Amino acid sequence: MESAENLLQEVLKEFDEVAEYMNLDAGLSSILKEPKRCLTVSCPVKIDDGSIKVFTGFRVQHSLTRGPAKGGIRYHPDVTLDEIKALAMLMTWKCAVVGVPFGGAKGGIVCEPAKMSSGEMEKLTRRYITEIIPIIGPEKDILAPDVNTNPQVMSWIMDTFSMDVGYSVPGVVTGKPICIGGSAGRDVATARGVMFTIFNVAKKLAFDPLSKEFAIQGFGNVGGNLAHLLFQEGCKITAISDIEGGIYNPKGLDPVKVSFALKETGSVIGFKDADRITNEELLTLTCDVLVPAALENQITQDNADGIRAKLIVEAANGPTTSAADKILEEKGVFIVPDILANAGGVSVSYFEWVQGLQFHFWNEREVNLKLRDIMEKAFENVYRIAREKDVSMRKAALILAIERVVEATKVRGIYP
Amino acid sequence: MLKKIECFLQPSKLDEIKNELVEMGVGGMSASEVKGFGTQRGYLEGEVPNKEVKFLPKIKVEIVVDEEIVDDIIKKIRELCFSRTIGAGKIFVLPVEDAVRIRTAEVGKRAIY
Repeated sequence: MESAENLLQEVLKEFDEVAEYMNLDAGLSSILKEPKRCLTVSCPVKIDDGSIKVFTGFRVQHSLTRGPAKGGIRYHPDVTLDEIKALAMLMTWKCAVVGVPFGGAKGGIVCEPAKMSSGEMEKLTRRYITEIIPIIGPEKDILAPDVNTNPQVMSWIMDTFSMDVGYSVPGVVTGKPICIGGSAGRDVATARGVMFTIFNVAKKLAFDPLSKEFAIQGFGNVGGNLAHLLFQEGCKITAISDIEGGIYNPKGLDPVKVSFALKETGSVIGFKDADRITNEELLTLTCDVLVPAALENQITQDNADGIRAKLIVEAANGPTTSAADKILEEKGVFIVPDILANAGGVSVSYFEWVQGLQFHFWNEREVNLKLRDIMEKAFENVYRIAREKDVSMRKAALILAIERVVEATKVRGIYP
Repeated sequence: MLKKIECFLQPSKLDEIKNELVEMGVGGMSASEVKGFGTQRGYLEGEVPNKEVKFLPKIKVEIVVDEEIVDDIIKKIRELCFSRTIGAGKIFVLPVEDAVRIRTAEVGKRAIY
């Protein structure tokens, strides 16, 4: 997040490249490069020692062309408006790639959650939501969890908005607990979407995923759940890591036992039946499939050359820098980009929103089948473009996304 | 909700399947001898295919169960019928609108258990 300016620049550069390739009209291009709306708010909070502290919050809506805006909110000391702008734009593309009827948004508050009490977090959340209420709502902009925000924070958001309007509105936020209108299967959705993506690649490239070795960086909501799902399917996971470091066993790791070690010792490195490795070493291990499921900017020009996996599936957002991307492309590594690979989360968020609007809820099996369908279609579409135009999957995904937003922009026309 | 599991399997697996599935709580089952082909158009591993599409003998098993246990049943059938060679079979899951037990007029879940 220290590279917030870089992130925005990178995202815009990527857009420019694809826009040029597509011969996109300059006017349309300038519409898509600027966020539709940026709101900066100051949130005074009376903290536990009785003093008043003012926190800065942002909500950026990049596009409302294909439907209401959708995106998470993050609580982090390094949040900047530029970073939020970049992430909001990426949400527009992600929603368009999987074809859910949303535009992109993102929000954030500059704060240090680790140093705040639960009470302070609640007050801050409620004040922030109150400040941005004019621009959010189930038909305007729907919030979701992101860095350092969880189902409890989503519950406070749902409650604050509902108190303001005077009745319960589950559709204003997704990632809520099931008891207040959350969706079955939402917690594992991103990981499940990544798993479907891996199997879709396997089918297209004609390999058997059960005979491949997987290395997963990150053991949180996405990496951890993915490890469990792949293991249940019979896949062999040889390396796993978290923020403290990684573990490697060429004979395979059992995620259930690794989770147990994590619970006991606070890190996956507490698991004894494996060799200790670093997060950097994990990336360049001998393996077939590499899944970065941790932070952004992990695969850089410094380590890209050493990567031995033939397939990279980006479960995290922006794990590969553009310089690294070029090196990997030359090496012939097949990369499934983040806006496609990890779109399972926003897809089930869409399901949660639909269920919330109807007050009619589906069972987990139904959710998972619908998710599989969405991920399959999105993969097929991106793969077809990649083949037809002879471009990378990353470029193909962006082409598909921009095409869809442009088409909607054109038919709606320029108001007035 | 009720679901129908309709699967096409190697005939040799039938005896084992029926006993195992009943143990898992399956209330009833129909099996029929059918012939069919799939992606390989009826050719076995090692055979060189020509234009002719061939039928192979298969067993078709039909079961109606509660949605709750569908995934467990599928898992069990896969376990029992698993083989690395082509032609191990396919499993289909269909929605069932309703079920009626003729003798008692019980409907839905009550009709199948």
